[in-house]
Amino acid sequence: MEKKTARNFFIWGTAICTVVFIWLTIDTHQTIPKRTNTDQLTSEVVMGKRVWHKYNCNDCHTILGIGGYYSPDVTKTYSIRGETWLKAFLKNPETPDPTRRKMPNQNLSDEEIHQLVAFLKWVDAIDTNQWPPKPITVAKTTGVTLEETTRALLGKKLYIQNRCDLCHQIGGQGGIHGPDLSKVGARRDLQWLATQIKDPKSLNPNTQMPAYSQLSDEDIESLASFLAGLK
Amino acid sequence: MTYESQKVALKYFVISAIFFGLQVLVGLLLIIKYIWPDPLIGILPFNTARAIHTNLLVVWMIFGFMGGTYYLVPEESGTELYSKKLANLQFWLLLLGGLIGVIGFLLGWTAGRPLLELPVELKWAIVIVALIFIFNVFLTMIRTKKWTAIQGLLLGGIIMLAVMWLFGIPFFKNLTLDYYYWWWVIHLWVEGAWELIAASLMAFILLKITGIDRAVIEKWLYVEVALVLITGIIGTGHHYYWIGTPEYWLWWGGIFSALEPVPIIFMVFDTLNHVRHKKVEITNHLVLYWAVGCAIFHFVGAGVWGILHTLPVVNRWTHGTQVTASHGHMAFFGAYAMLIITAIYYALPKLKGQESIKSTKGFWAFWIMVIGMIIMGLAFGGAGMIQSYLQRGLGIDFLTVQGFMRPWFMGVFFAGLGFFIGVIIYIIDVLSIAIKTK
Repeated sequence: MEKKTARNFFIWGTAICTVVFIWLTIDTHQTIPKRTNTDQLTSEVVMGKRVWHKYNCNDCHTILGIGGYYSPDVTKTYSIRGETWLKAFLKNPETPDPTRRKMPNQNLSDEEIHQLVAFLKWVDAIDTNQWPPKPITVAKTTGVTLEETTRALLGKKLYIQNRCDLCHQIGGQGGIHGPDLSKVGARRDLQWLATQIKDPKSLNPNTQMPAYSQLSDEDIESLASFLAGLK
Repeated sequence: MTYESQKVALKYFVISAIFFGLQVLVGLLLIIKYIWPDPLIGILPFNTARAIHTNLLVVWMIFGFMGGTYYLVPEESGTELYSKKLANLQFWLLLLGGLIGVIGFLLGWTAGRPLLELPVELKWAIVIVALIFIFNVFLTMIRTKKWTAIQGLLLGGIIMLAVMWLFGIPFFKNLTLDYYYWWWVIHLWVEGAWELIAASLMAFILLKITGIDRAVIEKWLYVEVALVLITGIIGTGHHYYWIGTPEYWLWWGGIFSALEPVPIIFMVFDTLNHVRHKKVEITNHLVLYWAVGCAIFHFVGAGVWGILHTLPVVNRWTHGTQVTASHGHMAFFGAYAMLIITAIYYALPKLKGQESIKSTKGFWAFWIMVIGMIIMGLAFGGAGMIQSYLQRGLGIDFLTVQGFMRPWFMGVFFAGLGFFIGVIIYIIDVLSIAIKTK
């Protein structure tokens, strides 16, 4: 091969690939409105994105799988955690477990929290070609049975929203700081569970579990009946 | 060294080496935050430290590339630099910009986009620095009697570097489009512009140390950069699998990025071939080690580590995990860190008019850094595989899985500590050559 041939290969190869790439880019642009729901990309969402940038969230968290790998991916965080939990957490991100990696409190205003959650809600609906993938098999070390009453389902939602799983495990999922709750219903009754949630120190003065006194009596009852159903 | 103005490269090399050390130091701080509870969380939280770590990387590499270019261009073009003053001015502006950037990060002045955290004002300032650089290089090159492929591709590389940077400046309302063009900077830098610059610098060094015919070296240079760009440009698509862009990118990105190792294999054979058929005796063995090491580590870190997780069937599980961190560290070290160190060890003694240098420290730095980086890459990789399996595969909670990854993070920490020692030896070596008087 001559040097001239090599040069022509370079020029034409690069030119053709650049043209193809630009063509794909133009086509991609036309799919963006539908795939990312640009009709729902309100000014509030944009403000939320600015909050996201302002506090440099992306250098700890990943979003769409890109960013710092230090903290959880937030692409689907809206549908996984729900609005209530997100707003509470952003207000006060302290975790009850001091040994865990911690998010510093950014002292966000209520408005900023509102905007950030709107942004995360919009991100949640982006068509990401089914990423992150559904787990092949959900880790399961104990069989969990659950009577699916409305009350128990409400309790399950509260369990998730309040991130009880940071310390406790159900069916092998969750933290190891607190006791495994997979079969807690077989050991404890409804009343005991309700007291434990509301005022854990009254049952065990040395417990590390924080009191969830901010929950309403009704919520506590729901949560307790969910746990009591785990047998 | 033939031209007086090549000497401007010296301070670029010195700052490049020092910033490299700072980058690795901040890297150690980051991995400590992974392993132990963070006492600095209120002063220097992870996100700020990461911004400093990655931006220092970019800055020291840009200093290295610019220094290398200022050394190369007068010799290739057979003339003094168009303006030594501009080259000096541009050095101080870039240094000032870099320092303001780092101090700004510490004070919370950020654009909040990973790797492109520099605030928009500083980004435009960098554009001005880049324009001065291109202007100076171009006006030097046009005085040449004969245009060479090395000159042309180097100029193309620095222009592409500046043009791609522009896509990182605007604010995008749509996160998907934000990341679409974010990759035009990140990917098309490391798989495009930087490769052009690095390949040209390497071709120049091989030309000088082996005495192989220019026609042969430049022919292969064309073939390599052609393959780099043919696979690399559309290969950007391997970043477009999961960010909200159409599904066809799984095919375009998958196929083209799977071919990305091809030009790197070429480079390895090419380098070894040139060395084998050398026409002059290679006196500076240290440069030879770094050059050959660069070719091989480039292949392993960028090529092999890249192809392992570039296909969508694998990437679906590994995307956004420490697997990417493993690849990132190995690839940057192999493709660019070693290249810049090669260039510095080649050019620096010549700038000081020394025919030979004592290379003991340089060899120590070589082996410590190479072994340190291999262990670090493997440890990151181990952490990443555990994360992919437990978090993505089994759906276990993020922080619980991080706990299982801790032993591997310890591996990264100790390997990084070793690596840092290698870097210190390198910096001492560079400084001692740089301040030596004849």
